[in-house]
Amino acid sequence: MSLGRSGYRVVIVGAGIIGLYTAHHLARAGAGPILVVDRGFLSTGGSGRNGGGIRQQWETRATIRLAREAVEAYRRFGRDFGHNIWFRQGGYLFLAENPAELARLARVHDVVLSEGLPSRLLTADEVAQRVDGIAEGAAVGGAYLPTDGTIYPFPAVWGLYEAVRDEGVEVALGVEAVGVERDAGRIRGVITSAGTVSATTVVNAAGGWSGDLSRRCGLDVPNVATRHEILATEPMKPFLDPMVVRASDGLYFSQTMRGELVGGLTVPHPPGTQRGVPSSPRFVATMARALVRLLPRLEGLGVLRAWAGFYDDTPDGFPVLGEDPRLPGFVHANGFGGHGFMLAPSASRRVAAAVLGERLDLDPKEFSPARFLGPRPTDRAERLQLG
Amino acid sequence: MASASPRRFRFGRTAREARPGETVLAALSRDGWPSVVRSVRYHRPRGPFCGVGDCTGCLVRLNGVPNQRACRREVQDGDVVRTENSWPSPRHDLFGALDLLLPRGLDTVHGLRRPEALRRIYQRVVRRLAGFGEPPELVGRSSPPAATSRTAEVLIVGAGRSGRAVAEALVRAGRRPLVVDRSAATLGGGADLLDHATVTLLAPTAGPSGTFTAVGFDARGAGVVVRAPAVVVATGSYDAALLFEGCDRPGVVTADLALGPAELPLGPSVIVGDGRRAEAVVARLADEVVGVVAFGEIGPELVAAAAERGIALYPRSRVVRALGRGHLRGVEIARRDGGGRYRLACSSIVLAHRRLPNAQLLFQAGAARRWSELPGAYYPELDGDGRTGVVGLYAVGSAAGPAGPAAPTPAGVAAAIAAGPQPSTPAEPAAPVRVGLRPYYAELLREPRRGKWVLCPCEDILLEEVERASRRGYRGLEVIKRYTGVGTGLCQGRYCLPEAILVLANLERREPTEVGYITQRPPVVPTPLGALASVADELERSPAP
Repeated sequence: MSLGRSGYRVVIVGAGIIGLYTAHHLARAGAGPILVVDRGFLSTGGSGRNGGGIRQQWETRATIRLAREAVEAYRRFGRDFGHNIWFRQGGYLFLAENPAELARLARVHDVVLSEGLPSRLLTADEVAQRVDGIAEGAAVGGAYLPTDGTIYPFPAVWGLYEAVRDEGVEVALGVEAVGVERDAGRIRGVITSAGTVSATTVVNAAGGWSGDLSRRCGLDVPNVATRHEILATEPMKPFLDPMVVRASDGLYFSQTMRGELVGGLTVPHPPGTQRGVPSSPRFVATMARALVRLLPRLEGLGVLRAWAGFYDDTPDGFPVLGEDPRLPGFVHANGFGGHGFMLAPSASRRVAAAVLGERLDLDPKEFSPARFLGPRPTDRAERLQLG
Repeated sequence: MASASPRRFRFGRTAREARPGETVLAALSRDGWPSVVRSVRYHRPRGPFCGVGDCTGCLVRLNGVPNQRACRREVQDGDVVRTENSWPSPRHDLFGALDLLLPRGLDTVHGLRRPEALRRIYQRVVRRLAGFGEPPELVGRSSPPAATSRTAEVLIVGAGRSGRAVAEALVRAGRRPLVVDRSAATLGGGADLLDHATVTLLAPTAGPSGTFTAVGFDARGAGVVVRAPAVVVATGSYDAALLFEGCDRPGVVTADLALGPAELPLGPSVIVGDGRRAEAVVARLADEVVGVVAFGEIGPELVAAAAERGIALYPRSRVVRALGRGHLRGVEIARRDGGGRYRLACSSIVLAHRRLPNAQLLFQAGAARRWSELPGAYYPELDGDGRTGVVGLYAVGSAAGPAGPAAPTPAGVAAAIAAGPQPSTPAEPAAPVRVGLRPYYAELLREPRRGKWVLCPCEDILLEEVERASRRGYRGLEVIKRYTGVGTGLCQGRYCLPEAILVLANLERREPTEVGYITQRPPVVPTPLGALASVADELERSPAP
């Protein structure tokens, strides 16, 4: 396919939730012309492969604030974008399997509560009320935030895709960004599989492939793509409201609007994007064992399908937002570690501000690409990388 | 022969009996057409459709477990069978009013957003309507059945004619294959058999010539793991669905069902199809057949059989409408040359027009696809000896491709396996000799719409939803699947996707190969969590595939 123009002000790589939201904020700010390229079809990457969880329970205030702003945006999404994303605030329930884990959750709970969110610590009985059929002794307690929830990711992508096109953004699907052209040390253009276009800014919102893209552009970044897997069961009538999460094996699952249980857990795979995203029998079996042990009555329920996607992980668990100091015009919007949907509306607003040269209301130690360039890593980290 | 004592089970409030070995569906069909389920979104009447355990037309709650296929499960003493997703009964379901209230269907992508104050109520109602059955009850057995773990020189999936023939040829060559089949099966000597076991996941290990891991479940709900360096997929083929108004009505069935063991009371039947499959159905149903509809000309054998029985023939015709609000009462047929329209009274329509490969396991394991204009399906890309592009993975029989001189023979496949792993050099595709089904679907899409055209019965997705997505600029089967949900139901897309490809090729005005296909996700058949859980330790012990 051919592109509509020979030059753009901004080229965004990745038509996932981050790239499209960023395009939307920029178009609203009059920063056109804007081009979004994606090597696949809409929702090929993480935006079409995630479990739809939206939570505000995090260890750090910075992430909690971004997440809370995102929840407000998702509540308005139907009005703003005309698509129903079925944002259901059924809560997020972190299970504690032992007193040490409960103590850790209590610390998270204190921070979340002090940010003004209605977090609650639950006893084992209160957990059992919310997770009907949970095995005896599976949890000693938990942390619960009723305003967390789940969305159906696809209509969010459709809604933004249609909105940005109405706002004059060009979205080129099946076009891969191969590299950038520089002039006097800053971005001058983007080389794509459909030709080279001039641009003063390129936004790397390529999700699991963002590390590959940065490195192809000569930037040494610590982003690592890790393969994570999900399965969905046959649909049932509703019995489970919250998203259930636990730390020991990274298990998370919720019951969707369609009635399926959808969730995953961590099974180690070699890092990198080279092997693609196949599902493994080992994940399906391990996940099944975790679900049956936690909810024994699910034994006869069928698994309907399994799939996989990439997390774009960073060493400290914070995303990377803003211009790379080594290459002016190259803006990062990546490193979300499997939580891009949770933070997309608010994080992309900061990315748009960075493109427009505005000052960001973020601590550079937590989100700036510059934090990896110093001699030592910073002392900050967001370790609640679950669900 | 002395007959064994009957099996006693409960259906709702009534006590029933079944012959030993009889399926739940067959036992429930003794008093007439079995009506056990309503459709998921609109509570439309549904009935058994596929007869091979893939559709959602005979789902029941069995001993506290939802969504069990009555056609696959043999009755055991003490079984408790209940209906799902209807009130007070599938035959008279008050929720059926939804079907009338929503004549154009429900737009879940854009609808039910306003007023926002009602968001929680919408969500509660929609959630309540979704899903077929209530969540399972605790089975409470002392210890779950142990998993079966086997290794084999060669794993053959499917004990049909081709699978058995490959097994026999391998035995003659001094090999000892393991044959797995999801039904009861028998084999000659020298080969091992694991029957009543369904393989649902198949993955090669990384590397040039590793082994395969096959995972599945058996009749007890226990897990099965087989590891083998060579796998032959001989899973056969199945009869496709057909799109028309009311094509999801009870009484519309496949030839698989009509020719199968359930012996449903089909009554006066109209057969769709013109080939050997249609002839077989006519031979089986005999005097019940009232008409035969074919997209093109009707072959001389079928003409002769019809003449003998006084069956009306409708060549070059289209099925446009199922008549009747509940069970099928007739069919409307249109001549494709613009000639007349006819209505025939019947209580079943038997689909014998298009036979599709059960190639899901091959695609899941990474075999490349090749499009065949007739019957309009993706087959695995093979060389003349049945090798797929995945080293060690072979296909044979009707899962491998349409019959013909180029099709791999069981002897050839066995010889290829005996010769050891070799890369595949795919045979040149045969030149298309006949026009495919695309023009037929082009005509269907121009047909005036009155009632619902259900493209995906599992999820109640309408043709209109696909057309709407297409008009909004969404293109390609992968995107349409995500936009509409087509292909994500319990049949794993077996019945809707072959229809959707031909519909989209027309709507997008491009080749079916450009419309593309979905990524075949595991498992190929819904697989019980308990069965999968029982093989987790075993899979963790060895290199991850």
